[in-house]
Parts: sequence; C-alpha cells; structure tokens
Amino acid sequence: MIFDVGHLLLITALLLAIFGVVVAFWGGHTRNVKLVASSFNAVYATFALVALAAVILWYGLLGDHFELSYVWNHSEIALPNFYKFAALWGGQAGSLLFWVLILTAFGTAVALQNRNKHQVLMPYVNGVLMFTSVFFLTLLVFAASPFERVAFVPADGQGLNPLLQNYWMVIHPVMLYLGYVGLAVPFAFAGAALISRKLDNEWVRTVRRWTLIPWLFLSLGIIMGSQWAYMELGWGGYWAWDPVENASFLPWLTATAFLHSIIIQEQRGILKVWNMVLIWATYFLVILGTFTTRSGVLESVHAFARSNVGVYFLVFLIIVVFSFLYLLFTRLPLLKAEQPIDSYMSREAAFLANNWVFAAIAFATLWGTFFPMFSELLTGQRISVAAPFFNKVNGPLFMLLVILMGVGPLMGWRHTSAASLRKQFVWPLIAMVVIGVVTYFVGRSIFASLGLAVLAFAAATIVQEYVRGLMARRATTNENYLVAMGNLWRRNGRRYGGYLVHLSIVMIGVAVVGNEFYQQTTNVTLARGEVVQLGGFDIEFGGMRVENESNRDVYAAQVTIFDTDSGKQLGEIAPSRNVYFKTPDMPTSEVGLRMTPIQDVYVVLNGWDDTGNSATFTIYINPLTMWMWIGGLVLMLGTLIASWPSPTRRRSETFSAVAYATGD
Amino acid sequence: MIESSHSRQDMQYRQFGMHRHAYAAMRKQSGVRALVVALAVATALWAALAARPLLAQNVDPTPIPAQEPAAAAGTPVSANDINAVARQLWCPLCSGVRLDACELKACAQMKDEIGIMLGQGTQVQEIKDIFVNRYGPQVLGEPPRSGFNWLAWALPFIVLVGGGVYLYTRARAMGREPNPAPSVAAAPTSEYDRKLDAELKQYD
Repeated sequence: MIFDVGHLLLITALLLAIFGVVVAFWGGHTRNVKLVASSFNAVYATFALVALAAVILWYGLLGDHFELSYVWNHSEIALPNFYKFAALWGGQAGSLLFWVLILTAFGTAVALQNRNKHQVLMPYVNGVLMFTSVFFLTLLVFAASPFERVAFVPADGQGLNPLLQNYWMVIHPVMLYLGYVGLAVPFAFAGAALISRKLDNEWVRTVRRWTLIPWLFLSLGIIMGSQWAYMELGWGGYWAWDPVENASFLPWLTATAFLHSIIIQEQRGILKVWNMVLIWATYFLVILGTFTTRSGVLESVHAFARSNVGVYFLVFLIIVVFSFLYLLFTRLPLLKAEQPIDSYMSREAAFLANNWVFAAIAFATLWGTFFPMFSELLTGQRISVAAPFFNKVNGPLFMLLVILMGVGPLMGWRHTSAASLRKQFVWPLIAMVVIGVVTYFVGRSIFASLGLAVLAFAAATIVQEYVRGLMARRATTNENYLVAMGNLWRRNGRRYGGYLVHLSIVMIGVAVVGNEFYQQTTNVTLARGEVVQLGGFDIEFGGMRVENESNRDVYAAQVTIFDTDSGKQLGEIAPSRNVYFKTPDMPTSEVGLRMTPIQDVYVVLNGWDDTGNSATFTIYINPLTMWMWIGGLVLMLGTLIASWPSPTRRRSETFSAVAYATGD
Repeated sequence: MIESSHSRQDMQYRQFGMHRHAYAAMRKQSGVRALVVALAVATALWAALAARPLLAQNVDPTPIPAQEPAAAAGTPVSANDINAVARQLWCPLCSGVRLDACELKACAQMKDEIGIMLGQGTQVQEIKDIFVNRYGPQVLGEPPRSGFNWLAWALPFIVLVGGGVYLYTRARAMGREPNPAPSVAAAPTSEYDRKLDAELKQYD
C-alpha cells in the first residue's frame, strides 16, 4: 500500500515538473509574474514529493520489505542498518531516485537563494532544471521504478554487492552525485542567459560559486572513489582509467576548464562562446556519464546495474545537443568578444592555453573510453583501452598543464614585461632544477624526475606568491604572519584559495608520480613466523584469525612490519578477506596498510591454507601515495576559502541585489 | 626570453622610428614564432614518446628486471618474475583488470603458463605475442598500433594540434580587428584587489 503511494508520488512529481517547465518558460517569455511565481512553487513542491518518495524507499529498505524488487535485490536482513540506508544508491532505480532527489534539492536551493534576484534569468533557470527532472522522473516512472513489486514475498533479500559494503563506498557516491548533479545549475544559468538573450556577465558572476561547490563535491567524490579502489580492490593503485572512473573525470575536466575561463570572461570580456560550450559540455558529460554507468553500454567492473534505460538516455542526449546548438547559433552575434588578446605573454593567454590542454585531455579521455565500442563495431575485433593508453596520452598533457599552472599566475593581465618575467621565474626555475637533479640521483627514473621537477616548479610559484602576499600585508599593516595569512584568505580568497587548490593538485601529482614510477612489489607465500624483505621493511606473518560478522566471515592475517636496518617494530596490520554468506565465491579484499607521508606498506592477502599456518601475500611499497589524500584535504580547504563570501564583496552583492530589485 | 627589458624596448622602437603598435605587433610575432616552435617540438617529443613501445616499456613501473628474467631454461621462476610479466598484460575476460591483480581461474592459468614459458627461456615480448595471438589485442590494455586502431592514438594528437592552430589563428584575427568594443570588466574586481595589486607592485 505505502509503496503504491510512493509510485503515485513519483507520477505526481513528474506531472508537476512538466507543469513547472511549461509555466517557467511561458512565464519567462511573457514576463508574467504569476506564472513565474508558479514555477518557483513547482520547484519546491517537486522536491517535497521526491523527498517523500525517497523516505518511503528508505522505509522499505530499513524495514526489510522484500516484496519490493529493489529491496529484495539490494538488501538482506543481516545487512547492517548503515548499509541498508546506503542501499538507496546501491542499485539502478534507487540511484536514479537519489539523482532526482539531489537535483530537486539543488533546484530548491537555487530558487530560494534567487527568489528576488535575476528576474530575467530565474524563470528559465527553473525551467532548465525542471526539464532535467522531467527526464529522470520519466525514467523512474516508466523504465526503472524503485517501487516495483515481486509476485511473492521472499523471506530474505539477495544482499548488497559485497564491493559496495565499505564506508568509502557509502560516502563516495553521495559526493559524486552532489558534484555531478550540482553542475546542472551553472548549465541552467547558461541556458537561461541564452534563451533570454541576457548575455552580459550576470550569469557568469552568479554561477562561479554554484560551479565551485559542485566542483568541490565532484573532486572529493573522485578522490574518495580512489581511496575506495586503493583500499578494496587490492592491486596497489587507486585509478585504473576504468570507463566509470572516466565518466566522473570527464565533467571534472570541463568544469575545471570552465572555472578558469569564466575568470577571463569576467576580467576581459572574451571567450563568451567558449564558456557556453564548456558548461554545456559539462552538462552533456554528466548525463552521458550517468548513461554509461547505468546502461552498461561500456563494459566495466563498475557495471553493477543494467536495464533498459539506454534508449531514454540517447533521446535525451540528442535533445540536449540540438537544442543547445540551436540556441547557440541563433545568439552568436550577441556573444562577440569585447577585447582582443593583446599579448601571448599575458595571463589571459596562459588561461587560454590551460583551456586548450584541458579540452585536449577531455577529448583524449572521451575518445579512449568510447574507442573500444567504435573499434568493435567497425572491425569486429575486441580491444581494451586501459591505463597504458591513458597514461601515455594524458600523462604528458597533464605535465604541460602543471607547467601552465605555474606560469599562469606569474603573468599579468594583458602583457607581462620580460624584466618582470625574469624576476618571477628565478626561484621556481631553481627549485625545478634542484628537485629534478636530486630525485634523479635518488630514484634513477628520468620520467619520474621530469614529473617531480615540473611539480616543484609549480609549487615554488605558489609559495612565492604567498610569500609576496604576506610580505605586502606585513609591510603595510604590521600583522604577524598568521594574521596576515588569515587576512589574505579572508579578503582575497578567490586568489589565495585558488593557489591552495593548485598546491593540492601538485600534492596529488606527487602521489601519482610516486605510485606510478617508484612502486615496488613482491609476491610471497609465508609460513607462520616467516619474514620477507622489501624496500627497507621486514614483513612478518604471524598467523590467521577468523571473525564472524552478521553477514560475513572475516579472515585476517596478522602481519607485523619492522624496519630492516634498526629492527624496530613499526606497526601491525591485518590484511583480510571478507567471505559473504550470500556470495561466498566473491570474497572481497581489505588491504593491510601502514601509511606514512614517505611511503605506504600495502599488503594484500591472496590466500591461506586451512590450518592457517601459511598464507600468500602480494606486497607493495607505494611511495608518496599519502599525498593524494592530504591533497584532497587541501583541495577542500582551498575551494572553501575561494568560495567563501569575502567581506568587501558581500556588500557589493547586496547593492547589486537592491539595484536589480529596484531597476528591473 | 626573446624580449628585452622595458627601457631598451622604448629605445628600440624610437630608434627604428616605428609606430608603437607596429612595434608591438612585430614583437608579438616573434613571441608567437617562439611559442609555435616550442609547441611543435613538445608535440613531436610527446608523439615520439607515446607511440614507441620500446620507450613505453621503460615507463613501466616495475622495478624488478622485467625484460630478461630467467633466461636460461630450467632456472627456477619466482612469483615475482611471473607478476612482472603479468603486470604488462590485461585479463581477457574482464576489461580493465590487470592480469597480476585478477583472481579469476582463467587468469591464474595464464599466470601458470607464463611461469612455464619463463622457465623455458621464452622472452617477455614472445610471451605477450603468444597471448595476443590467442586472446586478441584485448590483453594489451591498449589499442594495437595498426589498421583502424591507429586512429585511437592519432586522433588526440590531431585534435590537440588542430585546436592549437585554430586558437592561434583566431587570437591573431582578434588582434587585427579594429576597435573592439570597450570593456568595463577590465577594472580590478574590487577596491581591495586594486589596493593589493598596488601594494604588490610597490613590493616588487
């Protein structure tokens, strides 16, 4: 009964969203205040209905209502409540519902924030966002209903995919979805600007924060996904260029390019068409990414759920492409650049180059992801495009990007004199050479040293900028360093928060180079008390133990790590295997990890004999990998600083809001 | 780089009797030329590095000597020797999983076979070829550089270079357009930014 209500709520939400789209566009077009007000109400009401439907599904999951096909397929009685809750996004229908939930929540937040601002744009913003909701609600009602029943009431469910039963896997999709779905907001503003022909910088200024926040979620989602892969999949790495990973990375690339290029539009009035294309591409890639993960069109280890939603997605993608192209071409004359690019030695030129490389990486990634499909269609031969391809093609491009990251901030707008360039580049270049040479003599890998040298260059430019900012503040205000730093962040967060994000990218780059080039590995079978030596560590196997959990047995090996030189005990770890009762042939791995900023000792339990007297391990020494997670934290800090409303700007925003209210 | 310091610039264009804009255009072009040359060199280098399998193997992170393990027949083959080869191959059944990390029965058999072949003194490249013959190019984890699959490697380069050329010509064309619309956005975004920039300039 209650689940019929759930289904009914979704149908009502769909009808309401269609109504909302119509009144939003019609109201915006005719400037009819009542219709526009109605569109706002439709946004709120759709959110409420979808939220209610989600609550009902949660009720079904937590209450073990296995008469629901979704609950039966993705939960079981013995599943811990935490994972029952998370099972909402563990399967197809549920995750689509979760998508709409987040989308309508974002729509509501945007509507509330801008209820009395941007009168020309807002009706269309509501319209575009609700149009997206209409699509996903259509899927939920017609193709993948989470409230579908099974003919009988099963005694127990089939359990959640064991790979998903991990803390990171619970939070990672939430973050990813918040990022993914949130990027629909800047697209909605862009679409609104195109439709209303109000193509000044208003939409660009408004979407900066609405892009930064989803971008932060998306970045954290990707990093958490890497953390999950590192801890769970047990192959010593964190990123495999798997189609689904690429699906999350593609909109990140275009969104990052967009975040940079809107700065040039704001400052110099150029790249207006390009910005439109970028944010549209981001939106397109978000939908495409959802499509590839949800339709199973590309084979991948992530393809947990497949169903007949593919055709719906294709139709929607075609609509998105053609409606955008139509709008863009009819509005082209309104998107003329206000200024030329004066010099190639300018910040805008560096930004331009940055966008060029980002676009190239995005293209190569998209192309590589879909290439097996083309190849199989045309030649009938199955090939795989995995890490070797992406590392070779994207690796050098990322290096170019890091160089630009160092160069860009040192350039002035319009033109930079040679003297100033020379002065700016001395220290970073010294840092680059020193790090390159030193790491070469330590690590003996030319590619790794090249990478680290470039990263050192970028890091040095950031440090230099910070030192300069701090000195300037201290010279005028006599603040101590901490206060000066705080004030830099508070008063000029866009700039200094941005530098912090750059620094976090450097850290992540260091982790990538360390893991990619300096990794050591071995594969051993150890008897109880036996020791293996790798990378300066003695690793001793101390025996097996078994723990019984509600839905699985955990087989853990006791492993102790010693320093080879001093013989000092450094720590104990327990690489283990989870054997789930529902899927005993799919044991999941829990890596034993000792993490330090210099290197991780990473031990995977491959197997053991029944007596527990010997066990087989794959052991990796992963240098510098921890910097990826530290980088994630710095990235968060930097983005928050960059998006925090600054004291001076907040006042001007209030003024402009008043101006809109009185003048429009 | 190619440019001289400010005072010398002033002197130069006075000397040549050139109009300031004409001089700027000329100076820009030499900068552009340098940029184009640098880009061409970088792209060529990149193409060379990415497309040559020989170098690509050096990039492989395996620190264990992967090229010539256990050359003589009868030499005992360790799990590490096998994994060093398995790291260069991909599971033919599950796309995106490296052979050394794959736990399928079929993959375990493949690894056993690698062990036998290594024991017989088969070279790594030969082993890879044998698996490619049997399972198809899927086991390489990258498109083979032949036939239609060349396009997988070529198109990203074409797009990169094409995009660069397009940007370059567009930027030049933009520079030649007379009297672009004046911008109001060029001013620093806030009073504080302006102040800070001024302070920074002073500090420089």
